[in-house]
Amino acid sequence: MKYVIGIDLGTTNSALAYAEIKPGADRFDTPDVRLMEIPQLVNPGEAREGPLLPSALYIPGVSDFPAGSLGLPWDPEPEFVTGRLAQKRGVENAGRLVTSAKSWLSHSGVDRTAPILPWNAPEGVRKLSPVDASAEYLKHLRQAWDAKMPDSPFTEQKVLVTVPASFDAVARELTLEAAKHAGYGDVALLEEPQAAFYAWIERHQDWRGRVKLGDLILVVDIGGGTTDFTLIAVTEHAGELALDRMAVGDHILLGGDNMDLALARMVADQLAEKGTRIDTLQLHALWQNCRVAKEKLLAPGAKSKEQPVTILGKGTGLVGGTIKAAVTRDDVDRVLGEGFFPRVASSDLPQRQRRFGLQEIGLPYAADAAVTKHLAQFLRQPASSAEHERVRRGASGLAAPTHVLFNGGVLYARLIRDRLIEVLNAWLGEEGFSPVQPLAGEDLMHAVSRGAAYYGMALQGAGVRIRGGVPRTYYVGIESSMPAVPGIAAPLKALTVAPFGMEEGTAVSIPGREFGLIVGQPAEFRFFSSTVRKNDTPGALIEDLGDDLQELSPIEVNLTSEDGTGTVPVSFETVVTETGVLQLWCVARDGRRWKLEFNVRERLAQ
Amino acid sequence: MGRIWLATRGFFSILFRGVLPDDALAQLGLIRRATPKPQKAAAAPTPARLSDGALQILSILQRDSRLVDFIMEDIAGYSDDQVGAAVRGLHEQARESLSRYVKLEPVIDGVEGTFTKPVVSDPAAVKFIGNVPAGKPSGGLLRHKGWRAGKIDLPPLNPKQDAGIIAPAEIEIE
Repeated sequence: MKYVIGIDLGTTNSALAYAEIKPGADRFDTPDVRLMEIPQLVNPGEAREGPLLPSALYIPGVSDFPAGSLGLPWDPEPEFVTGRLAQKRGVENAGRLVTSAKSWLSHSGVDRTAPILPWNAPEGVRKLSPVDASAEYLKHLRQAWDAKMPDSPFTEQKVLVTVPASFDAVARELTLEAAKHAGYGDVALLEEPQAAFYAWIERHQDWRGRVKLGDLILVVDIGGGTTDFTLIAVTEHAGELALDRMAVGDHILLGGDNMDLALARMVADQLAEKGTRIDTLQLHALWQNCRVAKEKLLAPGAKSKEQPVTILGKGTGLVGGTIKAAVTRDDVDRVLGEGFFPRVASSDLPQRQRRFGLQEIGLPYAADAAVTKHLAQFLRQPASSAEHERVRRGASGLAAPTHVLFNGGVLYARLIRDRLIEVLNAWLGEEGFSPVQPLAGEDLMHAVSRGAAYYGMALQGAGVRIRGGVPRTYYVGIESSMPAVPGIAAPLKALTVAPFGMEEGTAVSIPGREFGLIVGQPAEFRFFSSTVRKNDTPGALIEDLGDDLQELSPIEVNLTSEDGTGTVPVSFETVVTETGVLQLWCVARDGRRWKLEFNVRERLAQ
Repeated sequence: MGRIWLATRGFFSILFRGVLPDDALAQLGLIRRATPKPQKAAAAPTPARLSDGALQILSILQRDSRLVDFIMEDIAGYSDDQVGAAVRGLHEQARESLSRYVKLEPVIDGVEGTFTKPVVSDPAAVKFIGNVPAGKPSGGLLRHKGWRAGKIDLPPLNPKQDAGIIAPAEIEIE
């Protein structure tokens, strides 16, 4: 093992950073973290390197590309196209394009191992599962590495793949499975906001002088497709400053793409008022142009108040068919400032997703676009007893960060950073606290992969580690023993099996409950998690499930035993592995153990 | 609009053939000097390959910026406003892709309007205009810095593909 490789498997873009492990290096030396340029097809027959690999996959059909034009340095005829070309061609033919595979990976409403993507593919197009699509991006990165670093095979290096902090145990397990499909060897997971914070530490070796004991750092990560919040507390262990991850938010499918699309829709509406209608392809072109216009208007020192956006005419008549419009600075301020980052009170929470009897299956996009409301909800998560007063809170219970670290491409825009700080400071002011200090992040697009590589070095003994543990409480559902009533399911209770903050490399036995499992038959349990209920101890029984618990994929165990049939009384044991994976075991009285597996298929059948 | 046409035409003629066409010369009031015949190097690619490269550049510029659509369109009837709106984005794209594949640099890296003594004496690289003396002039005012393709970095051509296709026809299925 010569290198540590950090992979940011993003919703819209992926990146790879690496650092060399130098034997005998001073542990206080700064690891030299570098980014790898990723070769990918940018046009048919043209492979070029880029700092990011767009997380887009295109399933080529017979009439899509000229023969022999999809070759990569490591594969003359790949089955799928990943990266920039996939993204480009996908605009013209969306039915064969897979995007946001990562959001599907965390969506428990579908079978994530079944070939379901592209979601709207026409009949006859080959489909992939969210796990397989993610594996394709990971495979591309592995092959790119092997092509560029032939002396250090990828599988012999230490690899870290980042996941959103809001990923539940199932989504994490599936991410590892994707890595396995992609031919990865030694791989561990790391939460993205933590990785972003590691990147900050990597850039500021004097970080111990920049934060102090009792400080609370809010990490705001807004990427192309998702928004993620995390709180990290500066604590003390054995006389040294240490970092503890205290809370993570829910998975919010809301990001920069939504903002650019909102601008494009606004322009399209303005055009429609003047009698010009545009079609889907033109809306796509407008979407891209609005993003460029937004970036120009929000660039530091930008003086122009208006940026023209044009949609060129279709067909060979280019000038004649050109549609003209403009995006003004006021438009951007209004759409972003009022739509996505409104000034709201800290008690103003996002609208709950309404539950319809029949819901259209698809990605569960956030119902409320206001990021600031989601932030308020996150900071209002109830305190956990494990906090030990390390989270500074106002009189109303609002967690009050002292610092804020931004990550993700959306936060390049000063307007958005300033607005978030303004809103946060208003909330803190009401609670009687001084304003937050922004921690200067640098490379917002690559911080996660860089931080992952740095963390890999920390695992080797160089650098500081953030202690986190399981960011949720996990439960197993138990049906109450009650007389059956037609049409009404027996009330469900939830048994706590993994407490919030359970640390990596520990195990806990669940007391007071035994189940009789029949040998030779699969037994299935319903499985729940909560980011809000933080004080349930292992073995605690929740009578009323309410809205705080989210159901995950069921888990099942199939007992095979040499001594024939019968019923085996078992109890639960929970293990969190060193790589942060949650495992549930059934343990018989004589010490025999069976692992419970996530059953992502069953959920659909119910 | 005659100027845009002339400039674009001149640009491509110089880029691909190294000379301006006769009608462009006439319109500019210039006279062609005797230029050396292009040399046929033994190991050089065949002439057909050379024109493949030219077609490839055309198809790249069409793909990335729709330049061919623009040049081939009759724009006489459109207002400057309409043309301007279309050209702004096209210009940006064309410039981006041209600079990606061809590294353009000035022949003489000086300030236009200042006295300059050219180092090279190749008439294809440096052209004297105005009151040119009978002998070889030592220098003069730099009027145009000239363009030189420093490094050409075109993707390899697909041998199975018809290089004559500048842009494919598009058929949309509703």
